[in-house]
Amino acid sequence: MDFLGDVVRDALDVLGAFGSEISEVLWLTLLVSAIATVIGVGLGIPLGVALGLGRFRGRGVLMALVNTGMGIPPVLAGLLLLLLLWNDGPLGSWGLLFTPTAMVIAQALLAIPIAAGVTAGAVRGLSFDAHEHIRALRLPPASRGALAAREAWPGLVAGAAAAFGRVVSEVGAVLVVGGNVKGETRVLTTAIVQETRQADFGTALALGFLLLLVALAVNGVLTWIQFREER
Amino acid sequence: MTVLTLEGIDLGEGRLQVDRLEFSEGRKTIVFGPNGAGKTTLLRLVAGTLRGGRAAAAAYLPQRPFAFRGSAQHNLALGLDDQATATAGKIAARLGVDRLLAQPAATLSGGERQRLALAATLARPEPAVLLDEPLAAIDARDRSDVAAVVSAAIGGRTAVVVTHDVETAVALGDEIIVLVDGRVRQRGQVAEVLSLPADETVAGVLGVSNLIVGSVTDADDSLVAVAGGPMKVWGIGSVEKGGAAAAMFSAEAVTVFAGDIEGAGSARNLWAGVVVEVRPLGRLLEVVVDAGQRVVAVLTPGSVDALDLSAGSAVSLAVKATAVRVVAA
Repeated sequence: MDFLGDVVRDALDVLGAFGSEISEVLWLTLLVSAIATVIGVGLGIPLGVALGLGRFRGRGVLMALVNTGMGIPPVLAGLLLLLLLWNDGPLGSWGLLFTPTAMVIAQALLAIPIAAGVTAGAVRGLSFDAHEHIRALRLPPASRGALAAREAWPGLVAGAAAAFGRVVSEVGAVLVVGGNVKGETRVLTTAIVQETRQADFGTALALGFLLLLVALAVNGVLTWIQFREER
Repeated sequence: MTVLTLEGIDLGEGRLQVDRLEFSEGRKTIVFGPNGAGKTTLLRLVAGTLRGGRAAAAAYLPQRPFAFRGSAQHNLALGLDDQATATAGKIAARLGVDRLLAQPAATLSGGERQRLALAATLARPEPAVLLDEPLAAIDARDRSDVAAVVSAAIGGRTAVVVTHDVETAVALGDEIIVLVDGRVRQRGQVAEVLSLPADETVAGVLGVSNLIVGSVTDADDSLVAVAGGPMKVWGIGSVEKGGAAAAMFSAEAVTVFAGDIEGAGSARNLWAGVVVEVRPLGRLLEVVVDAGQRVVAVLTPGSVDALDLSAGSAVSLAVKATAVRVVAA
C-alpha cells in the first residue's frame, strides 16, 4: 500500500509544482492533436458524406479502406510515414522527420478514416425519406453533401470527438515520427512512456491525469454542442 | 419539349413490369392502383431516384416529404433560386401555409408539411412534374381546394400523379393509367376509364361505377347539382356554380324500382331509364341502365327476379344525394 500511496503523493507534487517542462508538453499535445483533428475532420467529413450519400463506382472498396483505416495500429501508420520522411526516403528532402509537423501529419492520417467512417455511418443512417427527398431536390453534389451533413450533424460531431480521442491518446505514431525529443517533440503520451520506463511513476501518473483532463474538456465541449439543440 | 418515358422495366413476377410507357406531353396523367401495385416504384424510376432509373428533367415530390432541419422557409427554398423561391412563397400562400414559414419545419403537421413540399416542388423550373400521393396527407374537406391550386400551378406542364384515391384522380387528371400487380391494366381519359373499366379487376380497383361529368348548375348549403347530358345529379361537394365537376357514386348506392315511380321517397336523385344489360358480378348481378347516361347498379339475384329485370325493362333509379361525391374536374 505504501508503494501506491507514494506514487499518488509524487503525482500530486508534480501537478502542484506544474513546472515549465510539463506545461510545454501539455501545450504541444494540445497543438499537435488539435491541428491534426482539424485536418483529419476537414478531409474526413467530406469523404464520409460522399461515402454515405453517393452511388459511385468504387464506393465499396473505399468504404472497406476507411473501415480498415479506423483500426490501423498507430505505430504502423507512424512507421509508414517514417519511411517516406527518412533522409533517403522519397520525401526526405522536406526535412520533416522528428518535427511537430511530422507528428501532425501522422495524427491527421489516423484521424481521417475515423472522421470519414463515423460520418458515413451517420449519413447512411438518415431515413429513407430523407435520402429520397435529398435526391428529389436535384442539387449539385456539393450542396447535396452540405444538406446531408447538416441533417446528420450530431453524427459529425461524434466523428470529430472520436477523431480527437484517437489522436490525443495514441503514442505509437508520434513516438516513431516525432522521436520524443525533450522540449521539441515530447507530448503527454510519449512522456508517460518515457517516465514509466524510468520508473518515475508519480510523474507518469500526473501526466496521465492531465491527458484525461484534456480528453474530458474537449469531449465536454463537443457533447454540449451535440445536445444543445435538444434543450 | 419533354417526353417522359419508361421502357423495358421488369422487376420480377408480381412487381413492376412495363414494356413501354410514354406520358402524354402537356397533360396530367394519373397513375392509379391499390397499395403495392408498383405506383411509387414507377414514379421513382421516372424521377431517377431508384437505382436503374434515368433522371428525367422533372420536379419530383416524394410520397413522404422530409422536414429538413431549419425553418419551413429554409425547407421551401431548398434547391430553388430567388425567383422560384418567390413563386414557392406565393403557392404556399394559396395553400394557406405562408404564416407557418418562420416555424421549424419539424414542428409542422403532416398536412402542413405536405402543403409546404407541394409549394416547393411546384415552384421548380423543370418542364415536368411528378407527384406521389400529393393529397394523401390533406384533410378530406380541403382536398378539392388544394387540388385546384395544384392543378393551376402545374399549368401546361407534363405531369404524372400517383394516387389511390378516385377523387384525386378526377380532380387532377386528364388521363389515367390503372396499375395492378405491377402491370398496366387500362389507360384512357379519366372519365372514360372510371365509367367503363376494362374488366372486373379494374372496376374493383377503381371502386366507382358511376361517374357523371358536367358543370354545376345549382348549389345550396351542402349540396350541388351537376348536369351532365340529360342527367342532373345532386351530391355533396363544394364546387362553385358554373364550374366543371364530376359526380361519383358506387353501384351499391343505386336503388332500382320497376316501372316509373315519379316522386317516390326522399331521394333527391330519381331518374327513369331502360335496362341495357344484366350481367354477373361474383355472386351478385350488375344491372346496366341507360338513363340518358349509363348508370350501373348492383343487385342480388333475388331482387332481379322479384323486379323481373332483363334487357329492355323500364326502371326508375334512386340515389341519395349523401351517397354522391362531387369534385371539381
